[in-house]
Amino acid sequence: MLRCPAFIKITASRTLAFGGLILLIGLLPWLSAQSPEYTVLRARYADREATDEALGAIRAELGLDQGPFHIFLGWLGGLLRGDLGTSWISNTPVGPGTMTALGVSLTLMACALVVAASVAVLLCIPAMVRGLAGKAARDSGAAAAALTSLPEFLLASMLLVIGAVWLGWFPPYGWQGIHHAVLPALALGVPAGGLAGRLLSEAISAALAEKWTTTWRTAGAGSAAIGAAVVRRALPSVLNQIALIIIGLTGGAVAVEKVFAIPGLGRTILGAASAQDIPALQAGMLALLATALIVGSLATAARYALLGPALRSGTMPMTPPVRAARRWDAVVPLTCAGALAAIMAGGLMRDPFTSSHARLAAPSLLLPFGADASGRDLLARVAHGSMSTLGTSLLVVLACLAIGLVIGMFPLAATGPVEVANAAPPILVGLIVAAIIGPSAHGAAIAVTLVGWAPLAAHTAALVQEARARPYVGILPVLGVGRVRTLWRYILPAALPSVFRHAMLRIPGTALALAALGFLGLGPQQPAPEWGLILAEGINYVERAPWAILAPALALALSSILAVSTASLGKYPLRTRRYPAPARVKAR
Amino acid sequence: MSTELRGLNLSYRYSGGKPWQAKPATAALTDVSLSVGAGQSIALVGSSGSGKSTLLRTLLALHKPHAGVVELDDRPARAGSVASLRWYRRIVQYVPQNPAGSLDPRMTIQQLLQEPLHQLRVRGDHRRMIQEALERVELDPAHVRRRPGELSGGQNQRVAIARALVTSPKILLADEPVSGLDLPLRNTVLDLLGRLVTRDRMGLLFVSHDLAAVAQLCQRTVVLSSGRIVEEGETARLLKEASHPVTRQLIAAVPGLPAMSESAKHTVMADSQSSYNRSGLHGRNGTMLLQP
Ligand SMILES: Nc1ncnc2c1ncn2[C@@H]1O[C@H](COP(=O)(O)OP(=O)(O)O)[C@@H](O)[C@H]1O
Ligand SMILES: [Mg+2]
Repeated sequence: MLRCPAFIKITASRTLAFGGLILLIGLLPWLSAQSPEYTVLRARYADREATDEALGAIRAELGLDQGPFHIFLGWLGGLLRGDLGTSWISNTPVGPGTMTALGVSLTLMACALVVAASVAVLLCIPAMVRGLAGKAARDSGAAAAALTSLPEFLLASMLLVIGAVWLGWFPPYGWQGIHHAVLPALALGVPAGGLAGRLLSEAISAALAEKWTTTWRTAGAGSAAIGAAVVRRALPSVLNQIALIIIGLTGGAVAVEKVFAIPGLGRTILGAASAQDIPALQAGMLALLATALIVGSLATAARYALLGPALRSGTMPMTPPVRAARRWDAVVPLTCAGALAAIMAGGLMRDPFTSSHARLAAPSLLLPFGADASGRDLLARVAHGSMSTLGTSLLVVLACLAIGLVIGMFPLAATGPVEVANAAPPILVGLIVAAIIGPSAHGAAIAVTLVGWAPLAAHTAALVQEARARPYVGILPVLGVGRVRTLWRYILPAALPSVFRHAMLRIPGTALALAALGFLGLGPQQPAPEWGLILAEGINYVERAPWAILAPALALALSSILAVSTASLGKYPLRTRRYPAPARVKAR
Repeated sequence: MSTELRGLNLSYRYSGGKPWQAKPATAALTDVSLSVGAGQSIALVGSSGSGKSTLLRTLLALHKPHAGVVELDDRPARAGSVASLRWYRRIVQYVPQNPAGSLDPRMTIQQLLQEPLHQLRVRGDHRRMIQEALERVELDPAHVRRRPGELSGGQNQRVAIARALVTSPKILLADEPVSGLDLPLRNTVLDLLGRLVTRDRMGLLFVSHDLAAVAQLCQRTVVLSSGRIVEEGETARLLKEASHPVTRQLIAAVPGLPAMSESAKHTVMADSQSSYNRSGLHGRNGTMLLQP
């Protein structure tokens, strides 16, 4: 390794990663493998023949024939002059539309933040009350965890069915007033608040278990004073993750805006991606990136303000609370896995492709989940969908494991890419990949892999660091063991078992990310049976045939409960976005 | 010619924090010179933080000193690639602090002892060398298929010493090898190290802040304080006539030492004298080079 100070490596790594992202966005027109000139020709001049001449003229008009360097510099130059570009489809500037959409999205995110904050506070109350009463920490129940762990697109679909279709309390789509914002804000805010709340209550339990609270109590401090101090102590340790959750809202918003037909940034980007209007896509991406950057910087500033000089002079480590294993810990994941297995067993022998039933046939004994809009057996489609979704996620996880292990071995150089990959919502990466190679099953797999390796790399890096500090690694140079052999023969075997287990625990979560892309049309295309795709299709008929979304929603809900409960089963804590607690080396 | 490890005018600083933090660098060693020859046992004592481990790491060529050189029989050993230091590591070996923790729990004893032979490219019958090393530390060779987790703490301690001995080094550097051990085990290890010096004519640099162990084992003692040598000389004399306050403090910290001074010290003297005579080192001048 090069001998330069750590901070130079980290700064260089961050700069490179961020610059790479900008470069990627700027080069989208050149990278796009789908020959956008066809799309543009059809959109703008429906009457013209697609001759080589006409296509060439359009390539010249769009500036596609000038090579990557020119394209990127042209885009960057326009950007610096405040010109976001001109739409390929409508031939009008994309700037104003993007700004309006950004305003809508920011409003939605603000509403969602209110919801999220309320949910998080509600989730923290039990931990605080138990802790102040002097009882040991307990994790919030599996049911609460599961309820708040549904992915945004699934929760949005369910809220649409219940709140707008069945109860009729809220409008199903549009963006005209505050009542339009209720359901989307819930769909976006509840999962975010759930995750933040669980992280925060864990930190509160940890703070309450520290010795100083006892000292304070002995000194006669009241519950209110201790409670306030505990929050001040706990908040900074989770602020980084909360920032990531808020950045994650940008990805969730894309799905929610699609479900409720809200004219926000997400929907603009999604529309631009499917119309291959790359300038509009670039502008939208840039707006999202700027939002994410501002959120991240605000969180860092807040952390400094809360912690003050303590942050600079050193760390204030926080030990996670020791949780007693409960006898029922394994019941929830086993039940979910069993139910999924039952769906697969029941449906794998059936035909997912032939339209042999009445359109939107209601569930019956012969057709347990009913039929979809083309008269296909939904049980068969969901069962085959689980095979392809879970199979793909296994492959994705293995790829992530390989990448994560390799990159995790070089922790400092990897800082920037890990941070970017960690913060990038899979949906945004899915959009970029789809813009480049077109929406497809392997495009979705690539997108999820591109972000999925980061937590595994961070985990590996932590374990490598820990292994290097062990005396049996420290002595190796004296025994003549070189760098390569040290990594390969000593450090990798120490890290591999727990990273592997962590990777396996990520399979259900990965399946959900793939389904989210499928739902947005960025994954496998019709007629492939894929959970997200089946759900997206069913949404259109939700008023006439709610069962069309119940079957895929059930499978997805089972997976998300599985994802959360397996995550808490393993030693690896909820905070998948941070270095985990080091795993003990098993002494044999 | 008998083997001799020399450190001349060694200085070492630990770098401070990042450039903008203005944290001062720690001067861990300042102008330290000492040498260890075959058949000598030398103690390096000092309170914790005085730079003992740093000196050992420097002598092991694990990091470059900011000034001074380490040489073995006039050939310099500079920190560098593994390959460029094999010759040195075959001759100068190391028993770390907490030796048992320096064994990878995933490896068998056979693999653990094989590793230095293999990596340092030692020629010959490795199986026999492993057998002999285990015999030297009085460990049953039947244990080679076991892993550290299947042996007792004391047995692991001896495995770690056997690993240092397996390449038949001439000089052994031991960093507090008996701190944290219970009394019987501590005595076993001290006996073992003592035998290596008297019987096998190995050179031993024994780091400790335990003066009772030093009195039992070492002919000469060097006292380190804040990275400088403040006092040095024959162990028995040093214990009786310590002049530097740091040395007195260290002596006062060992309750049994003044009481045992007369009887025990004589045995130490007699032992070391006799081994001196036997090994023919008598008359060879002190090997401490004390720089002002
Ligand atoms: N890795 C390090 N980084 C910075 N300072 C260190 C490091 N290791 C040791 N030091 C400092 O160097 C001095 C000598 O340490 P050391 O050689 O470990 O002492 P000893 O072994 O005698 O207890 C101490 O002041 C210690 O704080
Ligand atoms: Mg030390």
